[in-house]
Amino acid sequence: MKASIQINGLTKRFGNVVAVDNLSFEVAQGSVTGFLGPNGAGKTTTLRMLLGLIEPTAGSSTIAGKPYQELVDPFRHVGAVLESTGFHPGRRARDHLRVLCVAAGLAVTRADEVLDEVGLADVGDRRVKGFSLGMRQRLGLAAALLGEPEVLILDEPANGLDPEGVRWLRSFLRRYADGGRSVLVSSHLLAEIAQTVDHVVIVAKGRLVTQSSLADLADRTRAGVWVRTPQAQALREALAAKGIAAEVQSPETVVALETTTEAVGIAAAGAGVVIFEMTAQHFDLEEFFLDLTTPTANPITQGASR
Amino acid sequence: MKNLIHAELLKLRTTRMIYGLALAALAFAAISAISAISTAGKSGGGPALSTAAGIRNVMSAGLPGGILALVIGILIMAGEFRHNTATSTFLISPHRGRVVGAKFAAAALVGGALALLSSALTLAVALPWLATKHIHVDIFSRNVGVVLLGGIAAMTIYATVGVGVGSLIRNQTAAVAIALAWVLGVENLLVSFAHEIGRWTALGAAAALTNQQANDRLLPMWGGALLFVAYGVAFAAAGTRFTMRRDVS
Repeated sequence: MKASIQINGLTKRFGNVVAVDNLSFEVAQGSVTGFLGPNGAGKTTTLRMLLGLIEPTAGSSTIAGKPYQELVDPFRHVGAVLESTGFHPGRRARDHLRVLCVAAGLAVTRADEVLDEVGLADVGDRRVKGFSLGMRQRLGLAAALLGEPEVLILDEPANGLDPEGVRWLRSFLRRYADGGRSVLVSSHLLAEIAQTVDHVVIVAKGRLVTQSSLADLADRTRAGVWVRTPQAQALREALAAKGIAAEVQSPETVVALETTTEAVGIAAAGAGVVIFEMTAQHFDLEEFFLDLTTPTANPITQGASR
Repeated sequence: MKNLIHAELLKLRTTRMIYGLALAALAFAAISAISAISTAGKSGGGPALSTAAGIRNVMSAGLPGGILALVIGILIMAGEFRHNTATSTFLISPHRGRVVGAKFAAAALVGGALALLSSALTLAVALPWLATKHIHVDIFSRNVGVVLLGGIAAMTIYATVGVGVGSLIRNQTAAVAIALAWVLGVENLLVSFAHEIGRWTALGAAAALTNQQANDRLLPMWGGALLFVAYGVAFAAAGTRFTMRRDVS
């Protein structure tokens, strides 16, 4: 699959603070990729480097094969929504978009078309200071759509949206990507975008934690049984004989997937395998995400993520 | 580039700020002309209207209003950071040099247009009034035309200096406050009380350019013009350089 966004070893240092640390990942064409991490993980800095707004300390990034600054008419390739505050409060919504149309050399009628697309057609004549946070998010999205780009980049777009707004955004992004275009959307809440994304890139403290498809991630988080045994290989074979999938994660640990402690115990007894310790693990994606992005990682995720 | 200049002008037209500042500059020009004529030749007023200096004084009365062009220039640039619109501006046009260039051009156009209107208003007030006093004024003479042209040039350059100031000091309120305090406070004092230094300040150069106080305390008019243009270019260069390199976050 072709990559529409490529990030290679991006690093940004602010004084002594390393905000982004040698980060690399790709966004495949026609996919919705979630860019996940807790607040302060370096997501916004990464997106701003990708868009040429912040100069990286090291590394590079491309969109549609070129660095942002080298794209001819970048707004035709990429649309970005970075914050909900980038408006002059005294300017009318339609005028905000018209200014961007004129700067871009686009017909000013695009302003009305994108207002319609994001459901703001009725309030285009209002000054932005009267807009709710949700309306500002939509206006930002409208601006990103002006050049009909094939890549959309959104930084925490669900912030300030009510449940109805979040639902609208999800279906909008889904439709957008189904047309063969790509979306990179950042969030600090996995649940917020889990229903929308195909791939996830998870970062913490400026570093890549894991990058995978959502399906693979879900596989890794299935409930299982973590076992400490001196006969890891023998246990794995005994479990396999009973139709239980298991992974040997270290010479002393085995993780049996989608099963119970009872089933593992019976299989181990049947094969005469010694067990030192056994724990049932119940995960959901959110917990998994928290484990990945906080320093005290859980044994299962430690094995899975490296 | 043409698109970017148009966009800058549209930005100005779509907020109310510019109209308030323009009205203030025009009101200042009219009131200054009225006050200069009514106090001319009296104690505390300017030279008598029958003298060339008296006419020059009337024609240049509204020129301190050029300081408002400086404010407009600052708002054109610092306003982008005050309201975070710099992000969308630089996303549409990642070549920041072109964006800053368009801002300088837009500021010069607006400053120049405002100066033209101020000059026209000064003439509209002064000519009929002077005629009733049987003072004939040739608007193409050195005392009128040259003074007004100098004023137009000064306001145009003030606006571009403002863009430079706005890119060096991104906090809009601080930029306006510091610029006004500097020009109206420090430079004003230097021009009035320490003219050896004062003549080399931007205000001193602007005063020489507008022939406001044609005396040996200031540089000659051509010298003031060169110096003021140099200030404009220096601020433009410094502002562009700063804006090119800084992170927008």
